[in-house]
Amino acid sequence: MIWCVRHATTYRYAEPVDIATHLLHLAPRPLPHQRVLAESLTCQPEPSRISTGTDHFGNRATWIFLDRPHSVFEVTAEATVEVTAPAIPQPSATPPWEEITALSAQDPSAAEFALPSPMLPPEAGATAYAATSFPPGRPVLEGLLDLNARIRRDFAFRAGVTGIATPVSQVLAQRAGVCQDFTHLVLCALRGLGLPARYVSGYIRTLPPPGGAPRLGADQSHAWVGAWLGPEHGWVDLDPTNALVVRDEHVTLGWGRDFHDISPLRGIILGGGRHSLQVEVDLAPG
Amino acid sequence: MVDGRGQVRPHWRRVLAALSDLPPDYAEGGLGEATRRLDRAFEEEGATSLLPGLQRAEPSWRCDPVPLPLPASEFALLAEGLAQRARLLDALLADLYGAQRLLTERLVPPELVFANPAFLRPCRSAEQPPPRPMLQTYAADLLRGPDGRWQVLADRTSRAAGIGHAQENRRMLGRVLPHIFQGQQVRPLRPFFDLWQDALQRLAPPRQDNAAIALLTPGVRHPLWFEHVLLARELSCALVEPGDLTARGGAVFLKTLKGLQPVHVLLRRMDGRLLDPLEFGGQEPGVPGLLDAWRHGGVRVVNAPGCGLAEAPGLTALLPRLSERLLGETLRLPSVETHWLAEPEALAAVLRDPDGWLLRPATDGIAPAWRPGRMTPAQRDTLLARVAAQPRDFAATRDLPPSVAPFVVGGGLTPRPVLLRLFLAQDGEGWSVLPGGLARVPDDATGPIGRLPRQALAKDVWVLSEEGGRIQGPGLHRQAPLPIRRAGGDLPSRVADNLFWLGRYVERMEGAARLMRAALARLDRGPLLPREVAELAALSTGLRHAGLLTTEDMPNAAASSAFQAALWRALRQGGTVARLFDEIGRLVEAVRDRLTGDMHTLFTLPLRAVRVQADAPQLGLQGLEAVLGSVLRYSAGVAGAVAENMVRAGGFAFLDLGRRVERAQSIAAQLGFALSQSPSRIEGGLRLALELCDSVITYRNRYLGTLQPAPALDLVLADPGNPRGLAFQLHAIRDVLRAVDGGPERELLPPAEALIAAVEAMPGTVLAAPDQAAAAVALAPRLTAMEGEIAALSDAITRRYFALLPPIQQIGQEMPGGAA
Repeated sequence: MIWCVRHATTYRYAEPVDIATHLLHLAPRPLPHQRVLAESLTCQPEPSRISTGTDHFGNRATWIFLDRPHSVFEVTAEATVEVTAPAIPQPSATPPWEEITALSAQDPSAAEFALPSPMLPPEAGATAYAATSFPPGRPVLEGLLDLNARIRRDFAFRAGVTGIATPVSQVLAQRAGVCQDFTHLVLCALRGLGLPARYVSGYIRTLPPPGGAPRLGADQSHAWVGAWLGPEHGWVDLDPTNALVVRDEHVTLGWGRDFHDISPLRGIILGGGRHSLQVEVDLAPG
Repeated sequence: MVDGRGQVRPHWRRVLAALSDLPPDYAEGGLGEATRRLDRAFEEEGATSLLPGLQRAEPSWRCDPVPLPLPASEFALLAEGLAQRARLLDALLADLYGAQRLLTERLVPPELVFANPAFLRPCRSAEQPPPRPMLQTYAADLLRGPDGRWQVLADRTSRAAGIGHAQENRRMLGRVLPHIFQGQQVRPLRPFFDLWQDALQRLAPPRQDNAAIALLTPGVRHPLWFEHVLLARELSCALVEPGDLTARGGAVFLKTLKGLQPVHVLLRRMDGRLLDPLEFGGQEPGVPGLLDAWRHGGVRVVNAPGCGLAEAPGLTALLPRLSERLLGETLRLPSVETHWLAEPEALAAVLRDPDGWLLRPATDGIAPAWRPGRMTPAQRDTLLARVAAQPRDFAATRDLPPSVAPFVVGGGLTPRPVLLRLFLAQDGEGWSVLPGGLARVPDDATGPIGRLPRQALAKDVWVLSEEGGRIQGPGLHRQAPLPIRRAGGDLPSRVADNLFWLGRYVERMEGAARLMRAALARLDRGPLLPREVAELAALSTGLRHAGLLTTEDMPNAAASSAFQAALWRALRQGGTVARLFDEIGRLVEAVRDRLTGDMHTLFTLPLRAVRVQADAPQLGLQGLEAVLGSVLRYSAGVAGAVAENMVRAGGFAFLDLGRRVERAQSIAAQLGFALSQSPSRIEGGLRLALELCDSVITYRNRYLGTLQPAPALDLVLADPGNPRGLAFQLHAIRDVLRAVDGGPERELLPPAEALIAAVEAMPGTVLAAPDQAAAAVALAPRLTAMEGEIAALSDAITRRYFALLPPIQQIGQEMPGGAA
């Protein structure tokens, strides 16, 4: 499947900004099942400096520096990406979840994601919620799929009731939120059980597949969960917002422990006063 | 001090002999007197960040007169062992911030890295190795265990604090007890700083002939501010705060009066997490883009941000194995036995005998330790339950009794346990150890672990040189010729700003004291003449204008006591003048790196005395007069010291500018009030004008007894030779502006010239007028307006030179799935 991604962000400032620095995680990450065919980044006004690099998690990062006064900053990332559905193991053939917990502490690629992270301190309520999906000895992927489906049933997708820093406990209490909240909740729950899980940032197709239900979280940045199935099966991505296993209708930007590690765009400005932010995202078949 | 057979070790014998042979003036008090003198010397130096204006918060570090001697052979072994540890920790950090092979090889448990808050992810790339070296300086806390061997208690890889204390102890001991160095072969400290400075120079990016080095401090409020000032001076580098720096185009610049000056090497004395708010997402100031410049080699940061990772106690037990793997060498200098309690055997051993261990967070080497042996049973049970439940969060270090050294207590010597901190720096080829260090008595409650306490009893550390013969006291050692270096660049805008306001506040304080004294002189004299009533009314207006009186305090002859009470209020804690004391104290501290030690003492000690005097529970006219006299003497002392000691450029110019602007504003305002009389009372106004401008005697010498408006006004307004007159201030302002405002715009000169012309024309107008008194009175509103014009000029100066960048803010982020 080939997708064309367009992510346009506009910041408008009440007063001119003298100096601005932005950190972007907007370049799709090359992966075995994801090939970047073309990409571009356009900025208005023209930055005085652009740096690119790879972060600690292996994601592609871009730093943008503006040092002339400006009242509007527009940045548009576009990419053409070919995505193939990764092979998913038979759920019943995956190891019991307790085994994954034991293995993860020794595995440097997984251990980091079993630990609490700055935005996601341990939350007993989340672990208790997940526990019913993980009775002793259950194959880990069975448990994960069950949990993924329960979120869709138990929680309402509702924009505006949460913010970037909403704690998981509040999402649990109000049983509503958006994709970031559900992702954080599942991460917190799995880590509470000792299972490595990571926050994946990306996009989901804007229009549903023919005859399919509308996808939630489209037309904007999306987030979902990567879960570790042990050294043999590696990672599988699950979209709790849509109760989907991620196959070929998501485009991955990158991952981290929580939103803060991989936020699509953040910045520091000097001056500027009040500001507004406008985002447009489109993921269309190419 | 004592060997296994109870004999005093030879190197101690010489030190003790020197101490028992104190000169006669010490003899009476003996060692106790030596201790008192050292305490006083430290107090005067303000070696802690004790701000003179603020309340005495806590006692400072104290230095014991008895040094800790280290024989050459013993020090050589320590130096070798510590240099090896430094190489090891540098290699460890390079791996953990690079390819992380030690994790894939399972030599380091991932959790000790990933659960450590000092592991700074923005400082690692999965593909690019970090800039080397990671470690450029390093310090270690050591103790000598019961077996007589030195062992490392803690590795300090982040900032290696305490070197300033070490150096200060040596300097003070040399000053207060110079004779104890005689006949000893004590290695000097200075060569280490030369070496360190050279090494920092060499770190600069290639093709930089004149590397600019800056020491980055969180600022005057930091507990180690004093050390930062001292270190910046020793290393001849600029002392900068995050707000002084800006990152542009992958390089870092210092904002100076002459624009942006590049900085090539940053000696970091603040937490790496505070360096760059873009990367770490904090609310602290920081320098957005600093990490980008560091990653790409535009600036070198020493030590590299993130080096604190290696301080984790959980890693300590791994060092012998890591030394084999990373260096191919056996670890020479062992650590005090330390275990990460995720290891079941270690946990069992600790829970079997908890009182023999110091319990610590597994990843935080700076947090104070828990001592189960010193806890109440309830506290101890709670702690051990936590350890048993979450053993991975803890490490345990053997609670060894450190060896003891003699300390002066009550005139005699008493043994106390002692810890040793040694400092290292590397120059790319090898590591060098400061031949000295910081010895201190560990804190009783928390034991030997943790960051340097706010107060402690310390010792100078003497490294003795091998051969006898050459005597090296601190004053006698000859320095190697220094290479010519350019220090960190021009005056940072913030420093100029601070000096300008220091000048203004000292002058404002002086002006307040003069006004108050003039008013006091008219009180308690029995019935006042009508002329005196008019003078007092003008003075009261002036006092109110200066915020020293409120309308309710308005004096009359009967309410002299209420008036005095109001003046006391202004001088005491929280009052208008007392707040000026606070501000002056704060600014003196903030510009400390621009003042010599003597000048700093001159700026701080008398101010502290004035505060004490003003806050003492004495009342009455005489008490008030005494305080005002002290204030004026302090101000005169500062002015004299500045005029005699500061080089006439940069810093001095702005201090002087501040002083002149403030005085000009004050003269214009006060003369305005003095002349606001009915023409028939003009004599009183003129008398007051002369008094406030300290010009009574000059006038009398020039014109004998006759008081007339034109000559009097000429003296206080237009005579450019009268340092208390208005024209003098304005000329000085213009001259400073002409000197510093070298740019093409010179926009500040015309308003200064216009003010001078206006003031110089005034006496002529009065002289030419048919009624001099009426013409003089008519000047009052003009002078009041002039105060505003001088204030406007001051604002223009501030905008032109000090305009600091607007505050930074994080901008909103798109929330995935949510509204932006």
